[in-house]
Amino acid sequence: QASSMVAVGLALAAAGFAGRYAMQAMKQMEPQVKQALQSFPNTSAFCGFEPKMTKREAALILGVSPTANKNKIREAHRKLMVLNHPDRGGSPYIAAKINEAKDLMDGQARKQS
Amino acid sequence: MAKYLAQIVVMGVQVVGRAFARALQQEYAASQAAARARGRPGQQSAAVSSITGMSVQEAQQILNVSTLSPEEIQKSYEHLFKANEKSVGGSFYLQSKVVRAKERLDEELNIQKQEQNQQSQQNPET
Repeated sequence: QASSMVAVGLALAAAGFAGRYAMQAMKQMEPQVKQALQSFPNTSAFCGFEPKMTKREAALILGVSPTANKNKIREAHRKLMVLNHPDRGGSPYIAAKINEAKDLMDGQARKQS
Repeated sequence: MAKYLAQIVVMGVQVVGRAFARALQQEYAASQAAARARGRPGQQSAAVSSITGMSVQEAQQILNVSTLSPEEIQKSYEHLFKANEKSVGGSFYLQSKVVRAKERLDEELNIQKQEQNQQSQQNPET
C-alpha cells in the first residue's frame, strides 16, 4: 500500500532528524558538563593539568600552602626535583611543571613581600 | 496468503536492516582508522579526551612514553608512581596526574583494540 510506505518513510526520516538533533545537543552539552565537573574541588585530580597554571595548582603540585614563604617553596621544589629528575628516569614534562609551579609561587611570594 | 507475504516482508526488512547496521559499523570503524592514520584522534578518542579533560598527548607527556606500548606505559607508570609517594615526600597531586595519565592511555589502547576487532570482523578475508 503506497500510503503505508509513505508513513514508514516519514517515520524513518523523523527518526533520522531526531537522532542528529540528539547528537548535536550532546556535543554542545559537553563543555558545560566538563565545566560543571571542574567546579567541584575534588575533581582536580580527575583531569589533566590546567591549561594555564594557577597559583592554586602550583601550590598543589609543590604540596605547600598557597601562602608558603620562599624557603618552604624552595625546599618543596628541591625535594620534588630530586624525586622527579629527568636524568634519573623522571618525566621531563612533570619536571617542567614542578619548575613552573615554583616560578609561579616565587612570583606571588615576591609580590607579597 | 497475506500471512506469508507479511512474513517475507518482515524477513526482508530484517536482512536489509542488519546489512545496513553492519555497513554503518564498518564505515565508522574505517573513519576512525583513517582519522588515526592521519594523526588526528578518532571521534571516540576525542570524546574521551573531552570528558576526562586529558588528551592522549598530555598523558604520553606525563608518563614520558613515545609509543603506546603497554610495557613502556606500565614501566613508566610504576616508576613515576613510586617516585611521588607521599611517604617519601612526593606530591599527591603529581601522583594522581600520573594515575590519570595511565588510565587515559589504557582507555586509548582499549578504543584501538575495539576498532581493530570491528574492522577484522568486517573483512574476514584480509
